[in-house]
Amino acid sequence: MKKIPVTVLTGFLGSGKTTLLNRILTENHGKRIAVIENEFGEIGIDQALVINADEEIFEMNNGCICCTVRGDLIRILGNLMKRRDKFDHILVETTGMADPGPVAQTFFVDDDLRDLFSLDGIVTLVDAKHVSLHLDDSNECKEQIAFADVLVLNKTDLVSEAELDALERRVSAMNSMAKVIRARNADVPIAQVLDIGGFDLERAVAAKPSFLTPEYPFEWAGTFNLAEGIYELALEDGPDPAMTLVASYLEPDERASSKTAADRALHTWSESPLEVLPSGIVEIGSKQPALLLIEGHPSKRYQLRSRRPGRVGLYAQHLPAEFQMRLLDRGARVLPVAEQEFAAAHTHDQSVTSVGIHLEGAIDGALLDKWVSTLLREKGTDIFRMKGILNIAGADNRFVFQGVHMLFDGREDRPWGDTHRANDLVFIGRKLDREALTQGFERCLV
Amino acid sequence: MPRVEPESARGKTELVPLWRHDVGDYLSAAEISPDGRLCIAGAGDGVLVGLDLETGERRFRVHAHDDGVLALSIAPDSTRFVTCGHTQTAKVWSASGELLFELPGGGPAWVERVAWAPLGARIATGAGRIVRIWSAGGSLLAEPEPLASTVSGLVWRADGTAVAASAYGGVRIIPVVDSAKARTLAWKGSLISLAWSPDGKVIACGSQDSSVHFWRLGNGKDSEMSGYPFKPKALAWDGESKLLATSGDAAVTVWDFRGNGPEGTKPIQLAGHKSVCTRLAFSPRKGVLASGAQDMSVLIWEPRRTVKPIGFAFLEDEVTALAWHPEHRGLLGGDASGNLVYWKGN
Repeated sequence: MKKIPVTVLTGFLGSGKTTLLNRILTENHGKRIAVIENEFGEIGIDQALVINADEEIFEMNNGCICCTVRGDLIRILGNLMKRRDKFDHILVETTGMADPGPVAQTFFVDDDLRDLFSLDGIVTLVDAKHVSLHLDDSNECKEQIAFADVLVLNKTDLVSEAELDALERRVSAMNSMAKVIRARNADVPIAQVLDIGGFDLERAVAAKPSFLTPEYPFEWAGTFNLAEGIYELALEDGPDPAMTLVASYLEPDERASSKTAADRALHTWSESPLEVLPSGIVEIGSKQPALLLIEGHPSKRYQLRSRRPGRVGLYAQHLPAEFQMRLLDRGARVLPVAEQEFAAAHTHDQSVTSVGIHLEGAIDGALLDKWVSTLLREKGTDIFRMKGILNIAGADNRFVFQGVHMLFDGREDRPWGDTHRANDLVFIGRKLDREALTQGFERCLV
Repeated sequence: MPRVEPESARGKTELVPLWRHDVGDYLSAAEISPDGRLCIAGAGDGVLVGLDLETGERRFRVHAHDDGVLALSIAPDSTRFVTCGHTQTAKVWSASGELLFELPGGGPAWVERVAWAPLGARIATGAGRIVRIWSAGGSLLAEPEPLASTVSGLVWRADGTAVAASAYGGVRIIPVVDSAKARTLAWKGSLISLAWSPDGKVIACGSQDSSVHFWRLGNGKDSEMSGYPFKPKALAWDGESKLLATSGDAAVTVWDFRGNGPEGTKPIQLAGHKSVCTRLAFSPRKGVLASGAQDMSVLIWEPRRTVKPIGFAFLEDEVTALAWHPEHRGLLGGDASGNLVYWKGN
């Protein structure tokens, strides 16, 4: 029997959960949907069965966090299954302050629900205007973001493009596995929130390109509109003797801080840099980053060559203020049309983060098992979610797995075939020690 | 699904069906009236049927609860019964299927539990965290302080002097006569099933963490029996209050309360079902047990005598209801597809 997919909608009060829910229910998708609501919303839809229930969090006697489940869901979903005319999809709308952990765990831990339902995904709505009020001090807010398969940045009309970019980068740093969608009034295409297969290993693996969101090595990006010709980059001495810079062309209405542009810059950044002495030329659109040699040179002015008029992104290793960096056009200051500071990888101070580890080579299955068991036993409370694709020594098939807190589910996937064998592992959690995790993972190599 | 005969049942007696009835949807409840004349069954589509137990002839069929019947309980004099489902009221019916009156559960939650007292002409309902005690005529007698969470089990003491309600966090014993005492049996865990021994001395509960917990009310001693692979959703006491049959695996685990047991003893394990046991019912005939499972099989046991089944039968889907005739003349079984079968008892 096909398992019935369940989508969990989380998000703070006012983030737009009910709006999205109503949108899903009124859309003509032909599905029979049952909704379990923990918050009294304004839903009046005939096509769907809406059940109001108090959230009941059941901890087990052994005190193990992974055994904490949602009693109300077990009971109500169990009762709903007692009919021939089954539902096609279940939506669970949690309270604003709900911890998604027990909701997710319920579908792994409970005998009955595990057999009948599959958790399709956790969709978290984020009020783009007000989320910053909670992001720093609310554990629930962080957990809702950390657990999400889809993050909907809602009410985008209330904030500027630059603020949105900053928010997207911030939530992506917390949860690099989630797909981020922007919306004004929860107007999200249904296909992006239902049947997304967030807990389905097959599809999690298929979505691999977005699996590892990089942390950017640059601290600043500026967007400029430049004409054809030579501009001047003027610097002063700063904290480092040299600084890396990438200059690239953008699409006409693109910002340097957008994810696609920043990812392109990251790609260039990873190439070996071209050293540039003062009065040397930095070519916009070069395939290599420029390493500006600053210290010990009386002049600290470099030429920036623009071969065609258009939008240009400048990505700098440090904030311009640290080196008094200015862009000049025949002595006159050229101001960026937009600029953005990035929290560089080494300056992360957020308590909830993602750690993605890529390792070449083959993994010893027994060592991995030992490492993961110990890790989850000791740190399972702080590890919210985990996904991985591994190259196990001696196995022809890829090994894929995922976890929620201490619960762990892994199995062999399709054969590697001609694809490059490697290992990718992502953790999302609180107080993650990237170095320790990387070292632990490396010790599992054959 | 192919019909697979359990290996251990080979050569055992196959139960003889007296009649079959297709109710049409998931049988969430099926009971035999104490006078042995009527069978009442409720289904997942909200339908309630009454059948003549001897002949299987239909007496009534009514739509009782929108979106599904959840439980039913028949009065000791067999003239009335109470049902609940996906509605905020329980309903009391005559034995011929006429709606007599409704019992509001006391909140927005569905009434999920109903229990007619075996003695004393009272009805208990459980809706969300609220337990209500009613007279058999439908007047509200008592509504104690709500439980800590939703009522998961509601069972009368055999003499009708108290009702026990289980929930997350323990069992509340609610007395309905002055001589009985109110008590709370605390347990940090989610209790999902409840059975009170016929002699009133032991309350047993299945727990979400795959264990069975029981309390001896006399001395207050409680014990936990763990090691089940699944949740023990079905519990059944034998008439002597000595054997407690528990589900939680394909094998049925029976705890023996004679002597100093069952603490420190090895339970009787009844292996025969191919998948998880879902229903258990002890016959009024001493020591005969019926068990039903997800694999559609129904097995009959005499656990004191042998750990092999003495009889077997098959339904057409997961077994969801089992009830014995009050004098062991027959066994009623229901499944998740709506098939109701009455087998000969002897």
